Amino acid sequence: MPQHGPAANLGKGTEKPKNFWQTAWRLCKYMAPWKWFLFTVFAFAIGSVIFQIVSPKILGEATTTIFSGLLKGYHEIKAGQHLTRFPINFTKIKDILLTVGIMYLVSAVLSFFQQLIMANISQKIVYRLRADMKAKLQRLPIVYYDTHSNGDIMSRAINDMDNIAGTLQQSLAQIVTSAVTFVGVLFMMLTISWEMTLIACITVPLGIIVIATVAPRSQKYFAAQQKSLGLLNDQVEESFSGHTVVKTFNREESSITAFKKQNQNYYRSSWKAQFISGLIMPLMNFVSNIGYVCVAVVGGLKVANGRLTLGDVQAFLQYVNQFTQPITQLANLANTIQATIASAERIFEVLDEPEMQQTSVSVTDQPQPTAKIEFDHVAFGYDQKELLIKDMNLKVTSGEKIAIVGPTGAGKTTLINLLERFYDIKDGSLKLDGVDTRNLKRAQVRAHFAMVLQDTWLFTGSIYDNIKYGRENATEAEIYQAAKAAHADTFIRQLPQGYATVLNEEASNISQGQRQLLTIARAFLADPEILILDEATSSVDTRTEILIQHAMDRLLKDRTSFVVAHRLSTIRDADKILVMNHGSIIETGNHESLMAAKGFYADLYNSQFTAPGTV
Amino acid sequence: MYKIVRKRLAPWAVVGAIIFMLIQVFCNLNLPTLTSDMINKGVAVGNTNYIWKIGKEMLLIALVGIIASAGNVYFASTQAQKLGTKLRNELFEKVLYFGGHEVDQLGASSLITRTTNDVLQIQNVTVMILRMMLQAPSMLIGAIIMAFLSEKRLTGVFLISLPLLGVAVGLIMYFVVPLFKSLQKKIDRINLVFREGLTGVRVIRAFRQDKFEQNRFKAANKSYTDTAVKAFSLVSLMFPIMTLILNATNIGIVWLGANLIAKRSMQVGNLVSFMTYAAMILFSFMMLSMVFVFIPRAQAAAARIQEVLDTRYSIQDQQQPAELPVQEQPELEFDQVSFRYDHAEKLALSNINFRLTAGQTLAIIGGTGAGKSTLINLIPRLYDLESGKIKLNGQDISQTAQKKLHQQIALVQQKVFLFKGTIRSNLQVGKPTATDQEMWHALEIAQAKDFVSELPQGLDAVVEQNGGNFSGGQRQRLAIARAVIKPAAVYVFDDSFSALDFKTDANLRQALATDPQIKQSIVIIVAQRIATVTQADQIIVLDGGQVVGQGTHTELKQHNQTYQEIIKSQLRGEEI
Repeated sequence: MPQHGPAANLGKGTEKPKNFWQTAWRLCKYMAPWKWFLFTVFAFAIGSVIFQIVSPKILGEATTTIFSGLLKGYHEIKAGQHLTRFPINFTKIKDILLTVGIMYLVSAVLSFFQQLIMANISQKIVYRLRADMKAKLQRLPIVYYDTHSNGDIMSRAINDMDNIAGTLQQSLAQIVTSAVTFVGVLFMMLTISWEMTLIACITVPLGIIVIATVAPRSQKYFAAQQKSLGLLNDQVEESFSGHTVVKTFNREESSITAFKKQNQNYYRSSWKAQFISGLIMPLMNFVSNIGYVCVAVVGGLKVANGRLTLGDVQAFLQYVNQFTQPITQLANLANTIQATIASAERIFEVLDEPEMQQTSVSVTDQPQPTAKIEFDHVAFGYDQKELLIKDMNLKVTSGEKIAIVGPTGAGKTTLINLLERFYDIKDGSLKLDGVDTRNLKRAQVRAHFAMVLQDTWLFTGSIYDNIKYGRENATEAEIYQAAKAAHADTFIRQLPQGYATVLNEEASNISQGQRQLLTIARAFLADPEILILDEATSSVDTRTEILIQHAMDRLLKDRTSFVVAHRLSTIRDADKILVMNHGSIIETGNHESLMAAKGFYADLYNSQFTAPGTV
Repeated sequence: MYKIVRKRLAPWAVVGAIIFMLIQVFCNLNLPTLTSDMINKGVAVGNTNYIWKIGKEMLLIALVGIIASAGNVYFASTQAQKLGTKLRNELFEKVLYFGGHEVDQLGASSLITRTTNDVLQIQNVTVMILRMMLQAPSMLIGAIIMAFLSEKRLTGVFLISLPLLGVAVGLIMYFVVPLFKSLQKKIDRINLVFREGLTGVRVIRAFRQDKFEQNRFKAANKSYTDTAVKAFSLVSLMFPIMTLILNATNIGIVWLGANLIAKRSMQVGNLVSFMTYAAMILFSFMMLSMVFVFIPRAQAAAARIQEVLDTRYSIQDQQQPAELPVQEQPELEFDQVSFRYDHAEKLALSNINFRLTAGQTLAIIGGTGAGKSTLINLIPRLYDLESGKIKLNGQDISQTAQKKLHQQIALVQQKVFLFKGTIRSNLQVGKPTATDQEMWHALEIAQAKDFVSELPQGLDAVVEQNGGNFSGGQRQRLAIARAVIKPAAVYVFDDSFSALDFKTDANLRQALATDPQIKQSIVIIVAQRIATVTQADQIIVLDGGQVVGQGTHTELKQHNQTYQEIIKSQLRGEEI
């Protein structure tokens, strides 16, 4: 009767992988450590299905036994005997039912263990994939992060990973069971009657025709639906987050009109998508019902003619129902698997990215350096074509303060990228204590530095752990001391949980300025030789700003430092000033010499005092 | 859920869907009866004509069944999608006319989820209700009745198997549901740690904390995997147990049935049909238990949507709004203005007074949380006042139509917001009829002419969502251009110059001051930098919602302590 096949995804259409077999094979290799478990799973799945398939036929024998008892009884009645009971062979029925019962039980147990093992394996495989991806990301150069959006990487780590977990858990064994069911049912039907099997087989091409005609149409509408839903969501997001703009520019009506139009577009494709994909299931049921009726009629005629037993017909009818199911299931699986392989491909893409290389260059190292840091004819550019820095020369001696100034978007982060060796230079030599940094391990270079940036990155964890981030082996006392030095101790102790306060994801439980103080504390704890500092600008209120400045000044004391400066005092105090614009360094010198040069810096500096006009 | 759905579905269509569904169920229920008839009256007595006759009837019924289910699917999908479309339209319209209070209260991002995901959720559940959920109970009841009619003495089997099934499913659910809840939390944790690893990559590497980071992720990953294994192992029980119970039921039916047949009180065909009904009964029972999984989620979504629809507008136009005069020489006055956020104990602004006439500039300065943005938001009446009056051209703005008021105000917010489209379409938001010349002029004032003219498409350059393809400073300048192109009486810049460097800031203020149109208007600037405010006609120093200083730069510099502090923090007293 109506079987509800899992046709849920069938009409939706999926993304196609670029290289199906190669990726599939690679995914298989991930399963290698569990291959014996996988074989067990397949064996159990096949066993469970076989028992499931054979049992209707045996149960049918019970019906046949009843029926033959019945016929015998009719004969006896015809012969004139008086019967209160039909002579049914109950011992035989008991045996049959017992056998069937055991088979059902075994099938259920096998099916349980198969799913149990699969659930375990699939979770462990995905665990490993996740761990591999995370470890890989650690080995990727910063340029990867700068050229790929976080959203894209996240979607690979979350959605694609989810897809794989789901498929491994449910669909992998299903491929086996569906195929075995199909073949097994066909075989069982053949053992009963080849003629009836032939009749039942008409449902196969019918089913395929149904799927082949309906699914592509529905996929077309689903694609259109997804597209207009995306546009619709964009409109919602835009209008709601720009609520005030929409309102004060009197854009409500035009926004609503545009939204309604898009919504109507969505409706037009979505109901069709929903309707057509919804038809697959009833249509497949209908196909199955046609088979059922044909088998019932032909089977009935055969029994009436005495060429087939009633129990066989009963069993056959059950088989017909089971017969169309795997077709829908396999068609559905084909889609799921394709989507999964596409997901795996996206994950493998990340795993195949080129990693950071251990480098060395033939630059003569000077063990006794004249400078802490030296830029020696350094050239750098983010891509091969355009060099942002062509020939930079700069000597920074121990304890010097270097200010970096320039208009918004002048590329001040470029310099940080080079110092921390997030990027390698293209030409020349960047030396730390006389040694080219490319001849050192990255971690060795970074051990000399600490950063305090405006983008105050803290992780979801306690304040204590966040400060400790500066130096792994710091003692508790050192941590409190660092917090005190950064003027953070007071506010931390005022929090209900003090140092144990867990910063939440948006860190909305402490203010922006307080976040900055924590990053300063972290830098204090790291106690670096060289400091990279980004001064606070507008987002912090005046009082906290004063605290931050005090803390920063104390942090800077007696250290070599690079400061992205916004305050005049910092700039004027600096031993050297790097003036940046459009990504490159255009002037260097100290305040006096740069003012005297009357160049870009002088212009920039003067503009804030001689604010012209009346505003 | 019911409330939301009831009002928005066409009753005739729902009735149509239900009727078709019932026909479909009826057809499905009748096929086994016909089979049993065929066996009893055809097969058992060798009546071939009867077999053919019933065969034709069965085909006919199957055909009616598919037509009915197509009808059901049609109504279900059109109705559910219509419901979604209607809900989205209503929500969108409602939210756009919200005032500041309502948006604060519900949160912009939550409003977005409600309009997109929650509506989608309702839409999907509605399809399921109209197709499956109504079908399950009617199938269940129908199959029980049919089974009862065909052989009531066998129905006793269900008295054992149905409760058994119920207990089994209930028990598994009891243990699995909490596991799945904690699983959700643990996957959130994985996402969080992973995302932090991306956003903080520079800090992590600079502090050489890769190992710590890997361990943090490993812990989250492990904890998730352990729970997932537990949860899915339990789920593995579900399907085998259900099948086992169904099969055991069949065995029971055959055994009892055989006895009844032997006693000559039951016909053999009924046995076959009864087993089919048994399958239907157990199947619909399982389907029914699924309803309990989906309904609560839809309920929650419906409640969130209803909350938005039930929210009352805090700001509404009067029935007959007063006329807002348009003047060549505009005036703006704050008269004893106090303001309190909803449910807040403290006033956010208290007793603000100032009066501005054409050509004047007001600067507002103060720390975070001082109430600068709050003050700005009162001018376009995004919030209503606690007490006092705001008058534009002598008219109390709370008595006028919001639309008329907004026509005279051009606002640049602190958080810049650009529309997806082109530079041209964004400027047209400011002035729909603007010519190219006017646009270039506005861009010039906003110091954006240079970078826009360098773009190959110029005015028609694409602006991505939220202006993602422009830098922070560029976005801010485009937003300023959008405001200055609007012919308004009052121009408000809420900390709009913070992403600009000193020089651009200065040039921009210079351009504003010399533009013939803006020169005739009122300009209000919220700023953090002293340099930005020194030239203003009036400066208000805010602290904790109070005016702690009001006057010109020269006056404040001499007498106002807070102002002096601000100067000190920025210039250290050196350069004034």
